[in-house]
Amino acid sequence: MLLEGRVALITGASRGIGAAIARAFAAQGATLLLCARGEGVETLAQELTQKQRPARAMRGDLSDPAFTRDLVASARKEHGRVDVLVNNAGILRQGLIGMTTVDQMRELWNVNVLAVMTLTQYAIRVMDPKRSPSIVNLASIAGTEGMEGVTAYSASKAAVVGYTLSTAKELAPKGIRVNAIAPGFIDTEMVRGVTADWYERRIQSIRMGRIGTPEDVAGVAVFLASDLARYVTGQVIGVDGGMMS
Amino acid sequence: MNADKLRECFSRSLGISPERVTDDLAYNTLKEWDSVGHMALVVEIEGAFDVMFDTNDILGMSTVAKAREILTRYGVSFDAA
Repeated sequence: MLLEGRVALITGASRGIGAAIARAFAAQGATLLLCARGEGVETLAQELTQKQRPARAMRGDLSDPAFTRDLVASARKEHGRVDVLVNNAGILRQGLIGMTTVDQMRELWNVNVLAVMTLTQYAIRVMDPKRSPSIVNLASIAGTEGMEGVTAYSASKAAVVGYTLSTAKELAPKGIRVNAIAPGFIDTEMVRGVTADWYERRIQSIRMGRIGTPEDVAGVAVFLASDLARYVTGQVIGVDGGMMS
Repeated sequence: MNADKLRECFSRSLGISPERVTDDLAYNTLKEWDSVGHMALVVEIEGAFDVMFDTNDILGMSTVAKAREILTRYGVSFDAA
């Protein structure tokens, strides 16, 4: 198994892409610490523990630095380390340039960017270079190519790309790989909240002719977390079915 | 007891003898305690005392005495037995 013996911390794991990554990691032998704000993460942890690998859930708000600290402290107490960090938690807010409030911008920034930064700061302190540690950040095609109607979200995901590229450079000498996945249009609850017109235009822009699944993204996360990607760092991999942004 | 433990953390992570670990030993005053050594020191102290520092505390940990002061805020006692 590709992730046998690895301890993985996955954020936003209660549903969608995060839950798919948790399932894929468990199937590959990883021990999991799952975190989410909403319900469902405990149920998933119980299910994975019974069927596959030990998984524990922690509920909390990642925009609270004290929670991110507790999360990593808990992993260290339980397992002595974190081998893989998946910064998946994120929120989407639609809004044209002139229709996005400062509060919405702050909310997006706190969850999509600052939480990634603070959690990374804590996690790298409990990563052991000898265990091939890896960080996988979830960006978006909106952050790499831009996308109308989600300007603040796009900006926050572009920040994730910049953070990924820079941390990869800084952490490579310490043996920690950092990469990002930039999903296109993926079938999750997050995108089901967008307007019908916007949804339809996105579907029409996908060259492979279908919306992506969370499992399409999870496969790439497994690759990046595993030793198959042992010489891969500072990359942003699109998982978008040839989507035109 | 905890003072000895802290001294050992400095000694082990920076690779210096325990005798050199005095209260006024300061960041960047010896080649072993540079930015790289500082992160190793932080990890060592966090592990030894089972704490996780805020970034401001990491930046403020400029002397041995400061490290003790910061640890005290995290509930570590340095009272003589």
